[in-house]
Amino acid sequence: MKTILQAENLTKVYRVGSVDVHALRGVSLDVEEGEFLAIMGPSGCGKSTLLHLMGGLLTPTEGRISVDGEDMTAASDARRTDIRRRKIGFVFQRFNLFPTLTAEGNLRLAERIHAGGRDNDKEAEGQRREVLKLLKLEDKMHHKPLELSGGEQQRVALARAVINRPAIILADEPTGNLDTENSAIVLNMFQEMNYRFNQTIVMITHNPEAAAMCRRIVQMRDGQIVAPSTGVQL
Amino acid sequence: MDNLVVNNIRQRPVRALVSVTGVALGVALVMLFTGLSRGMSNDMQRRSSNLRAEIIFTRSGGMELTSSTANLSTKYADELRKVEGVASVVPVIRYPFQSGRGFGFEMIEGTDWDAYAAMNGVRVVEGRAPQAVDEVIVDETKAAGGKNGVGKSLSIFGGKPYRVVGVYSPESGARVKMSLAAMQDALESPGKCSYILVKCQDGVAAEELARRIGAQLPGNKIQLTRDIVTNIEQSVPYLGVFLRALVVLSAIVSGLVVMLAMYTTITERTREIGVLKALGASRGFIVGLIEQEALLISLLGLVVGFIVSLAAGYLIHRAYGLWFEYGWRWALVAASIGVGGGLLGALYPAMRAASLDAVAALSYE
Ligand SMILES: Nc1ncnc2c1ncn2[C@@H]1O[C@H](COP(=O)(O)OP(=O)(O)OP(=O)(O)O)[C@@H](O)[C@H]1O
Ligand SMILES: [Mg+2]
Repeated sequence: MKTILQAENLTKVYRVGSVDVHALRGVSLDVEEGEFLAIMGPSGCGKSTLLHLMGGLLTPTEGRISVDGEDMTAASDARRTDIRRRKIGFVFQRFNLFPTLTAEGNLRLAERIHAGGRDNDKEAEGQRREVLKLLKLEDKMHHKPLELSGGEQQRVALARAVINRPAIILADEPTGNLDTENSAIVLNMFQEMNYRFNQTIVMITHNPEAAAMCRRIVQMRDGQIVAPSTGVQL
Repeated sequence: MDNLVVNNIRQRPVRALVSVTGVALGVALVMLFTGLSRGMSNDMQRRSSNLRAEIIFTRSGGMELTSSTANLSTKYADELRKVEGVASVVPVIRYPFQSGRGFGFEMIEGTDWDAYAAMNGVRVVEGRAPQAVDEVIVDETKAAGGKNGVGKSLSIFGGKPYRVVGVYSPESGARVKMSLAAMQDALESPGKCSYILVKCQDGVAAEELARRIGAQLPGNKIQLTRDIVTNIEQSVPYLGVFLRALVVLSAIVSGLVVMLAMYTTITERTREIGVLKALGASRGFIVGLIEQEALLISLLGLVVGFIVSLAAGYLIHRAYGLWFEYGWRWALVAASIGVGGGLLGALYPAMRAASLDAVAALSYE
């Protein structure tokens, strides 16, 4: 199997005033293509930091990351942005849709950014329809985020992440703002994306049930992985 | 429309309105001032080009069409008549007066009507020529609209009313004229005038006659009518500098207003900018988005500014008789300051947005 993401011995130190905060203390992690991976651990253990490093939003203090064969560690900010544009889709706890745009506008914006500012082509059109169908969003396209439920918003956010078929989706507590029912729906959608498109997903979650849906769970504590590759079979 | 830029502007209509107004103001200022200077200059040019006299004789010390001292003795008129080649001479007093609405001033000329009319091909089209000391004649522009027409009265010197007894055409020199004697009386300068118009006999070159007059009546200023600076931009000192300063100030105003608007915009949308970054938007893309918004605001401001200047120019003309003439060149200048100022003003906020830290922006409340 192909390794989509490789993280080697990552450390991340935040400097707050004169104090060093060691958010990550040597994290190594490989993610295979088509994997649906959960990261769990107590608050402040460094989960988000790791996710941001993997997505190139941060640079590690030490260590190496490569995504789909492209080294992000040595890359400039512009280069990391470019890798992110082509290879990574983010899903956040707070949905983070653009409130002035309809669901469709949000998707088109993501497509436009993915296409490097150009307008969407035919292929994107077809992809979008397929994704929307899977996420049962077809009749929600002309709604603005505030006219959608939390679950629907997160489905649009997932659609936005998946629509450009990134090499990997990075989700930071995607069900953290949802009730049980909507959480279940959204998690099912993640699973569906993983299953139908062989979409690689790394998901931070506090929810054991969510983690149980994943093929692999990584446990973190104090900036380290404590239980790597604990296989949970489906 | 499902467009981030347009929707962002619609989201905050008051702020958009304020910034559009700011740009519009800058544009309107430039348009109105340059339009006024051009309009007045063309107006003066039109009027002075109707003078048929080739030569203007004044005391040294200068004669501009805007000057207005009665320091020249009318006795020179008799001397001038004796110079060979002179067909006719007409002494004129020129004096500024506060026009009706208390905005700016106008010129009034005192001259012997029949001589002036005969020399310059001006005729009375309504009423008659001024005779009594409280009578004036006005040109058609001044009379237009009936406000200052025949039978109306104008207040000219110290609030004393003057009756309009006639209307003349075409426009020539000052729009209001009275008799030389009446004006000398009013200004308490008997036997004086501001300048003397000299017409050449047929076949006599104006330059040649001017030289001859200079030789026979030395120490005075002899100018050819066609050389008199009729371009107000040149005759009003520093007007050009003023206009240029105005343009720069307008550009700065437009720039600052848009800058402020964009600055609050990006602060308000910090998290959205973080999301854009997470989606992989390049610096150029983010700068582009903000500049597009600034461009849209500036263009709106431009349109509003043009409409305002046209409307204001028309209304001011109606109310005060000032002339506005808009030229393409200045419209282009106004347009480029509006848009250029806006784009430049937005550049700093745009660059700041583009270099925000993505993670910090994403966690911004
Ligand atoms: N920008 C920052 N500056 C300073 N310290 C930070 C910064 N971001 C995170 N930290 C610190 O790094 C550590 C790891 O933070 P991180 O956000 O990765 O934790 P987490 O596992 O995602 O927690 P949670 O489950 O609460 O989201 C924490 O101690 C946190 O206070
Ligand atoms: Mg976190």
